[in-house]
Amino acid sequence: MIEGRLVNLRAQEFSDLDRFYAWINDPDVTRFLDARYPVAREAEEAWARDRASSMMSYTNVHFAIETKDGVHIGSVNFHKISPENRTGRLGIMIGDKAYWSRGYGTDAITTFCRFGFEEMDLARIDLTVDAENARAIACYRKAGFVEEARLRQDRYRRGAAADTLVMGLLREEFDALDRA
Amino acid sequence: MIEGKLVDLRPFEMSDLDDDWRWVNDREFTRYVSMRYPVPRLAEEEWLRARTSQFPAYGEQRFAIETKDGRHIGNCSLFDVRPADRVAELGIGIGEKDCWSRGYGTDAVITLTRWGFEEMDLRRVFLTVYDFNVRGRKAYAKAGFVEEGCLRKAIYREGRRVDLVIMGALRDEFFALHGAPPAAVEEVAR
Repeated sequence: MIEGRLVNLRAQEFSDLDRFYAWINDPDVTRFLDARYPVAREAEEAWARDRASSMMSYTNVHFAIETKDGVHIGSVNFHKISPENRTGRLGIMIGDKAYWSRGYGTDAITTFCRFGFEEMDLARIDLTVDAENARAIACYRKAGFVEEARLRQDRYRRGAAADTLVMGLLREEFDALDRA
Repeated sequence: MIEGKLVDLRPFEMSDLDDDWRWVNDREFTRYVSMRYPVPRLAEEEWLRARTSQFPAYGEQRFAIETKDGRHIGNCSLFDVRPADRVAELGIGIGEKDCWSRGYGTDAVITLTRWGFEEMDLRRVFLTVYDFNVRGRKAYAKAGFVEEGCLRKAIYREGRRVDLVIMGALRDEFFALHGAPPAAVEEVAR
């Protein structure tokens, strides 16, 4: 268990399945995510079983996000980990909408980045976000991420092409913020 | 065969193996691309065989670059193609160093990008390039790619952290710069 201020991060368990299945099929949740297609329960079950039965390792890091009183509200992970470059791309989902805009996502990100920098010795963490996802962008900024690139017409959803932002956070920037 | 002004693009053949294997082990070449480790000949051969023994498909397009007199000077590709977004990433390497800075790379990029727009109906083609690769960045700019940002210190090469520049070309922009395809020609009824 990795402790944050508002949330804790723990391994994903198979018993998280019901919530993941509900979230991944909730258009409010997936609106800005890469999850484009509805997901069948059996497919989600296979995914959850795979997650819950594999040990985490350098290239396989994914946590469930829990509030301090044990409510499972989302997940956070690294994909595209590069050991030579010591970079990781962060993905996060707060699936339980009751916990949006209340600081839980920001705290989960800060806690997860601390793990990436202090336990995995990453030099840089970045993420991509739909340029119209204002709530997420505000949250990433609060966590210290800086806008580095705007990929024009990078995604197509709801009848129009949209830009994607790439935001990055360097180890030294995180340390300066974290100590403040 | 896809015809450009200075180069043609053709499918990979097993006879490209000697060239390819020489290039992927040439550190003056690989310092500009994502290849980091020396490559055994057998591994390169297997990689090439996997690609020459399959019909090309939407998700990944790879071509050898030839000068007009048939000399194989490099390779290029559209990969990670996302059909719903109509976005592809472009990769290119001119392995023959005497062909650097002579317009071949630029022409290959233009030819491949045009092909992606005209035959695959892409909306956006993008690429990444190391910050220190000034020659590459110039060629991409000439081909119509716009710098969209810079991922700070995203790469570690040669003992230092390097910025990664992202450049993108949009279909409409590209056609405005290099000319749109001709209007549909009516077929003559027989």
